[in-house]
Amino acid sequence: MQDSGSANQPSDAPTCRVSAPRGFKLATTLGGAGLALALLLAVASDGGLRHFYYSYLANFAFYLSISLGALSFVALQHVTRAGWSVTVRRLNEILAANMPLLAIMFIPLAISLFLHSSGPYVWADPQVVAESPVVQHKTPYLNVPFFLARAVIYLGLWIWMARFFFTRSVRQDVTGDPSLTVQMERFSGPIILLFALTTTFASFDWLMSLQPDWFSSIYGVYYYSGATVGGLAAVILAAMFAQRAGYATEAITTEHYHDMGKLLFGFVVFWGYIAFSQYMLIWYANIPEETTWYLARQKPAWLVFSVVLLVGHLFIPFLGMISREVKRRKVLLGFWCVWLLVFHWLDMVYLVMPSLTTDHFPLGLIDVCLLVGLGGLYVGGVLRLAQGISVVPVKDPRLGEALVFENL
Amino acid sequence: MSDHDQQNTTSSTETRVAAVLGQFESAGALKTAAEKVRDEGYRKWDSHSPFPIHGMERAMGIRPTILPWLVFGAGVTGAIVAMLLQWWTNAVDYPFLISGKPYFSVPANIPIAFELIILFSALTAFGGALVLNQLPQFRHPVFESEAFRRATSDGFFISIEAADSRFNEQKTVAFLESIGAKVDVCRVAAQKPAIPKAIPWAIVFLVTLAFLPPLGVAWYRASTKRLPRIHPLHDMAFQPKYKAQAENDLFADHRSMRPPVAGTIAQGQLMLDTKFFQGKDDDGNYVTELPLPVDRGLMMRGRERFNIYCAPCHGLSGGMPEGLGEGGDPKDWDGMVTIRASARALTGDGTWTPPRVLHGKYVQDQPDGKLFETITAGVNNQGIQTMPGYDKQIPVKDRWAIILYLRALGRSQNASEADVPETERAAPAN
Repeated sequence: MQDSGSANQPSDAPTCRVSAPRGFKLATTLGGAGLALALLLAVASDGGLRHFYYSYLANFAFYLSISLGALSFVALQHVTRAGWSVTVRRLNEILAANMPLLAIMFIPLAISLFLHSSGPYVWADPQVVAESPVVQHKTPYLNVPFFLARAVIYLGLWIWMARFFFTRSVRQDVTGDPSLTVQMERFSGPIILLFALTTTFASFDWLMSLQPDWFSSIYGVYYYSGATVGGLAAVILAAMFAQRAGYATEAITTEHYHDMGKLLFGFVVFWGYIAFSQYMLIWYANIPEETTWYLARQKPAWLVFSVVLLVGHLFIPFLGMISREVKRRKVLLGFWCVWLLVFHWLDMVYLVMPSLTTDHFPLGLIDVCLLVGLGGLYVGGVLRLAQGISVVPVKDPRLGEALVFENL
Repeated sequence: MSDHDQQNTTSSTETRVAAVLGQFESAGALKTAAEKVRDEGYRKWDSHSPFPIHGMERAMGIRPTILPWLVFGAGVTGAIVAMLLQWWTNAVDYPFLISGKPYFSVPANIPIAFELIILFSALTAFGGALVLNQLPQFRHPVFESEAFRRATSDGFFISIEAADSRFNEQKTVAFLESIGAKVDVCRVAAQKPAIPKAIPWAIVFLVTLAFLPPLGVAWYRASTKRLPRIHPLHDMAFQPKYKAQAENDLFADHRSMRPPVAGTIAQGQLMLDTKFFQGKDDDGNYVTELPLPVDRGLMMRGRERFNIYCAPCHGLSGGMPEGLGEGGDPKDWDGMVTIRASARALTGDGTWTPPRVLHGKYVQDQPDGKLFETITAGVNNQGIQTMPGYDKQIPVKDRWAIILYLRALGRSQNASEADVPETERAAPAN
């Protein structure tokens, strides 16, 4: 089996290399224009800045989750010493390595802590703290300096993890040194532990603290489950785009799409499991301090949205993706990836925007502008990272195994 | 090809060819050979290797299994069964109201449904895999081959059974040799070895025996008996001890439960302070002052206990919101039980006596001792217990704390502007 694998190894590795990332200019232009228009809308309307910040947070959480999902995928492949996934691992490494850009995108949120009435984090407003004994009780954790210090730790660790895998994997493309693989495997276990802790507390800090009097210990897992759905969907689509552009056309096969589709399907169910686990305990106990979060999302302005999210993020993709054939056909799998990315974005909106208002459904042009704006910059960052490196880790010791991989 | 003959010399009966076995060098050779066997049109054949080979099922031309559909059907069945079971037991057969929750609601029933989906799916996947693979199979002609023992370490084999319609010993052997196999012919006894007659009889006997205990239990449950029932665990049903209210010949009064020794009081039962324990002085008059020191802690304790025990009916404010007074509409009340019970009483569902407004004149004019008595014994209005006694739930000291808080409620709910210290007064904020 091994000899047949090395025989299939692409002899002309340069064809896998991304030379001139087409669309880099388009993406960054769209991104800049979207952000500028969103800022213009924010300044022009009354209370627009507040809406801008909430929407910015939702979109930031969305793009961050894609990189986090990709990062956890890479670590998972190393910790299990997986062979099948080598051909799609580089795409994940590139998405994860976009973390420095996300750290820059976090800066406006850090600034928002000092804009008391417009910022999304009400606990940063001394007046709110003074009026709420519950928030006062939480100030040893929820205060501006500690919050910023934690953010630096999370983002710093994620950047280090992503660079750790990215640089070593790219270096292996040149040297072919198998000890790099051993090194990545050795570090992947502790990295997964660190990843779980940082993701959990980052979601507590950045999303759960929007409603500082409410708490849910499963919240971090909820965010992670959605992040993995977003990351896998994005990577499958990225692989399709790369192949369309002529890269890795032989290396990534139906078998890889099938397995990525299986993982995606599994995490869709996992998301539903976690979402329901959080909901049922709160629903059953019916304790006012716990139900407030769901109550806001069951007010008339958000009720339909909540039900649509449940059906569209769980039931429809569950039935739609359950068949083996769906996961093995690019068009169908691509459709479900786009579908799930849309619903993952709506999930982030569901986490953030009810804190802005429950009087009416607030989504508008500014949200679309920010989705396109941050998205353009994010895609631009990914394309810039991909420049000059191979889409497939061409000298990975397990590449042969991945190339001949077949689902039983 | 001669070793199998030696193997079968122990039985002198006739043998027949049951299968031919072809051995190959490697997994790759096995896969290539499997494609050729498939293309030759054989149906009853199989390949054997020490480990799974990717793409083998395609090389062998195995059609996709229907097992996923069976599992899916089992999952759907599990969900339906779980929902029906919970609906029938909780809402139809034995409706039992818990905390005013609905008898049947979807979120509460999802965990059971989830478990049954998994149980049904897993059992179907396991059982279905066994049945579709025709397992367990204790005998197979290939076991007659000495070479086949290597199939679990380093041997790669294809076996073609004689039952296949295209099977012909010479042609099949030649075919396997032509695709590079080392061929072995597996012979088995021409007649299937007969199963000893005792075995089926033993199975019938054991199955019958297994039915006896449940039949016996069912018979005993369904029929009436004159004799005392059977106690399978005698020392558990009759334990060497005396139960409450039982007879005991050891004592002159034949009681197992012993009365306290005359003139003694159990620890914690000495309640000489009638003002504290009964709310009355030695002459039987209600006390008008709290018989314990009053401080902020007692007041806070009283508010906490009040909100737990009294507020469900009387409301957190002690009754009607300010200005409504007695006899107002109960829906303006802030006691959850009162709101719900009044709403049901309006539709003729049950009866409900609205509770007293605690900051009203009727209650506030009563002496502390009378309030203590009410909390302890409840209210019995012409034989109808309209308020239960709380002596079991609320310790004595907490009852006094509640009374202290009641007085505070009485003052705060009937307060005028003059009650606010001049320095604290401000224009009403909006």
